[in-house]
Amino acid sequence: MGTATGIIKALNSGVKHLARKRFTLRYPEQKLKFVGDGYRYDPVTGVGVAGLKGRHMLFHDHCTGCQLCSIACEGVAEAIAMVKVPETHKQNKKSIMPQIDYGKCVFCGLCVDACPFYALYMSNDYELSSFTKEGLIYTPAQLQVKPHVSQDAEIKITDRGATHG
Amino acid sequence: MTMSAQLPPGLQLEKVDERIMTLNVGPQHPGSGHMRIIVQIDGDYIVACDPDPGYVHRGEEKMAEYRNYITNIPHLERPVIHDSCNILYPYVLGAEELLGIEVPERAKYVRVIAAELNRCVYTLYWLAIYGIFLGHSTMFMWPSGDRELFIDLLEKLTGARVTHAYFIPGGVRNDMPANFEDVCLRQVRYFEKRIAEYSDIFYDNPILISRTANTGVLSRNDAIRLGTTGSVLRASGVDYDVRKKEPYDVYDSLDFETNVLKSGDSYARSKVPWLDMMESCRIIRDALSKMPKSGSVRTKLKPNPKGGDTSVYKRVESGRGALGCHIVSRKKPEPYRVKLSVGSFRNLIAMPYLLKGEKLGNMPSVYWSLNYWPVEADR
Repeated sequence: MGTATGIIKALNSGVKHLARKRFTLRYPEQKLKFVGDGYRYDPVTGVGVAGLKGRHMLFHDHCTGCQLCSIACEGVAEAIAMVKVPETHKQNKKSIMPQIDYGKCVFCGLCVDACPFYALYMSNDYELSSFTKEGLIYTPAQLQVKPHVSQDAEIKITDRGATHG
Repeated sequence: MTMSAQLPPGLQLEKVDERIMTLNVGPQHPGSGHMRIIVQIDGDYIVACDPDPGYVHRGEEKMAEYRNYITNIPHLERPVIHDSCNILYPYVLGAEELLGIEVPERAKYVRVIAAELNRCVYTLYWLAIYGIFLGHSTMFMWPSGDRELFIDLLEKLTGARVTHAYFIPGGVRNDMPANFEDVCLRQVRYFEKRIAEYSDIFYDNPILISRTANTGVLSRNDAIRLGTTGSVLRASGVDYDVRKKEPYDVYDSLDFETNVLKSGDSYARSKVPWLDMMESCRIIRDALSKMPKSGSVRTKLKPNPKGGDTSVYKRVESGRGALGCHIVSRKKPEPYRVKLSVGSFRNLIAMPYLLKGEKLGNMPSVYWSLNYWPVEADR
């Protein structure tokens, strides 16, 4: 193939894309849809359930304060600290629950695998940025809140290329 | 007594040649990554080159001695976050042998699929940077965009875009989500059509060929003598792929070929990973069809599993070449020693030989064609 034909062919393959839809996710307006409600783990079968590893969800009525999540995190990020919860709040015998520092968390989900009581899951919420370091520390009360997410963009594949809809 | 003799070793003054100029490319330079390349140039030609890695050493191997077999997983994948399944693969295979764990058949297929998806993510990222090193900004945008197809699949499968922490001794962390197979097949088929377009704009482009063909030629004998691996070795005409030669998991039952090019120049080294991606797509399709449709994907581990008084060495083919992991166990929950033998560092050894006599302008293309990832080499 001659140099001129090669360059024309290369230009042509680029020009074709002018007529195609862009493969860009317009992020704050569009958000990707994920599988399920986040990563979970079934201690009976020992297998997880697929889902995004985002911010944690803590179920206060299941948490026994056994610290297994905190022990699992010791070798990874040391992000989980067990803190005292108020006496008036629904609580376990030791009245301690995990508090997670998202400045340290690496979202590996090994704490979820460690929990034998179905108390700690992960959710689809990944927008955790904060102006202060203290804002990244989520107390047991904050971890209880189910995040509100509106994620619906998906990769659509058509004859004219892939788009995010 | 001269001034040079009073200085401690390592700080001796160098004899200055009027013709030769020493250039420090890096350690903070877009053309070098996290490493320094000391090049001596005579006019436009490189006389000598001394790669100086080690700027991103994080002590992964030492860290592994203080963590148990499970908590080692998130930090061991950090050296190559966009090829994290492949860098964990030898560690996980070794840990399974040490701890005596059987892996379910379905988990082996899921692991192969995840590893091949991850290889594509790595190679596309590598290709994007190769494009921008040569000033081809379209080739930066296209692979970066198409990489999103695989990142999306891995996000569905593992729950994270990069650093999946998906492989675990005993299988994988979670099963595939519902209708993952359909989505995976659809996106992989689309990508196979898409990747063919790369040849027109990049690989058959006469400007690219004139810049990369016959630069940094590594002969077959030199490739073997210097101990290069992966795409660098296969671009020099040596048919060596760990997936074929020492099949692990289910690679021996899958239908794929290795790509070997003879010329051994930058062009061949940049083309082999692109051809490998097509084979990866073939492996993914084949594995999805041969996979058992149901069954467990993870053998439950005892808490704090202990290995015997032995050691194990496992090798896999990563995006950058053969990746070995040597684990020594001393009857403790923590491994006594974890040694990673990475393809990046092996390929870096060839760099001074390849750059000698090249033009300085060819340095980025020769350097990046070696499939070198600084963070992995420094560990």
